Amino acid sequence: MRLELGHIFIKDIQFGEETAVKDGILYVNKDELIKLVKEDDYLSRVDVELARPGESIRITPVKDVIEPRVKVEGPGGIFPGVMSKVTTVGSGKTNALKGCAVVTTGKIVGFQEGIIDMTGPGADYTPFSKLNNLVLVCEPREGLKQHDHERAVRLAGLKAANYLGHAAKDLEPDKVEVYETLPLIEGLERYKGLPRVAYVQMLQSQGLLHDTYVYGVDAKQIVPTILYPTETMDGAIISGNCVSACDKNTTYHHQNNPVIEDLYARHGKDFNFLGVIITNENVYLADKERSSDWTAKLVEYLSLDGVVISQEGFGNPDTDLIMNCRKIEEKGIKTVIITNEYAGRDGASQSLADAHVSADAVVTGGNSNEVIVLPKMDKVIGSLDYVETIAGGFDGGLSPDGSITVELQAITGATNELGFNKLTTKMI
Amino acid sequence: MVKEIERVGIPVVHICTVVPISLTVGANRIVPAVAIPHPLGDPKLEIQEEKDLRRKIIEKALRALTVEIELQTVFED
Repeated sequence: MRLELGHIFIKDIQFGEETAVKDGILYVNKDELIKLVKEDDYLSRVDVELARPGESIRITPVKDVIEPRVKVEGPGGIFPGVMSKVTTVGSGKTNALKGCAVVTTGKIVGFQEGIIDMTGPGADYTPFSKLNNLVLVCEPREGLKQHDHERAVRLAGLKAANYLGHAAKDLEPDKVEVYETLPLIEGLERYKGLPRVAYVQMLQSQGLLHDTYVYGVDAKQIVPTILYPTETMDGAIISGNCVSACDKNTTYHHQNNPVIEDLYARHGKDFNFLGVIITNENVYLADKERSSDWTAKLVEYLSLDGVVISQEGFGNPDTDLIMNCRKIEEKGIKTVIITNEYAGRDGASQSLADAHVSADAVVTGGNSNEVIVLPKMDKVIGSLDYVETIAGGFDGGLSPDGSITVELQAITGATNELGFNKLTTKMI
Repeated sequence: MVKEIERVGIPVVHICTVVPISLTVGANRIVPAVAIPHPLGDPKLEIQEEKDLRRKIIEKALRALTVEIELQTVFED
């Protein structure tokens, strides 16, 4: 499977008569976009705001972040099984609007949503402060149930992203990246002698608003399976997650998974990157046992020499992570795990809920309990009503002067476990 | 908490869904629970069936308290 990913660089975003890209500026017809999103009866009010890097703006509570993309050539469409037909994606040509994103906010769905500051100290902790954001403020119809509310806002974000992405359909990309994965046997012949490596991606699937979707299938209902890495670039995996903001993988993270990009960068040179094995993180022990057994079985079946495993979330998923690691290592196959830590505000507590000696190669995205003070911003998109009750916030965190004290946990993407940020932990 | 209570000489049964974590943190008597969001219940069952399930788990835990053990023990069915 071969995908040409065209990058169209967006340096600014503005409202305009027609939704289009001109000279690196994304113009958006606000009314048309609102009308499209409001087609959903579950939403009573939809507004669109802009937030650019460096502006004194706080966006909260943030639900999802999505990069606008469009299929230019080849089968299927972006977000298959949800926004497009369920056709297998990941081949042909796709264009992406780089440097911008759709961010969804509005009345809180669960208690684990995030904060994005566009300037100040908080901006350093989220990669999304560097993007030109189109913020979709979605308010649910009165009395709407939580799950319907989550779905309505999730679909609103995806719809808006595809609407913007469409503006890139006929554009000449500024840069083209080519990613290719051969069918198994062909790849083994082509890259004979190179170590065989794959990526095990764990998807949040605890239910109760902690869900991820693969081609529209709720990930708690999957058994581990194999994807071509490029499928994720066309939106095969989307976030429906109200888990801690710092380590949830937003849809943007799935579209731009740095583990996949970095493995591709050395594919065919230092090793043979065979593909992605996706697995889940369910709340029944039998599911955890089955999924980690199957993950280890697939790793063995592919005759791999090593795998990179990334986690999503924390707490009981630490067990899924350790089970995957231990069961794969027991087959004589090397693992590196990517996780983050909840080591207390002083960093002195045990970092993960579970551990095993086979987890001897660990990359960490930093300590989510670290405390930060976020100064007042001139403008809030969304609402400050929830900053004391979201995960990472606490009573008294919101000061009368408008500043807020929170753990990094509350900042979207701060301690991401795909390595999509700059934090790590120093060992002393 | 399990370890601190045992430290003063009172045996403890840990009813817990994620048995591996319980083993890692050093509980000695472990009874598996149903699921993380509902350790002692199951919303898919009728009320009476759920009550029976809860009683079964509690009785198993009480029995486990009476058993002499040498090593960490998981009380399966």
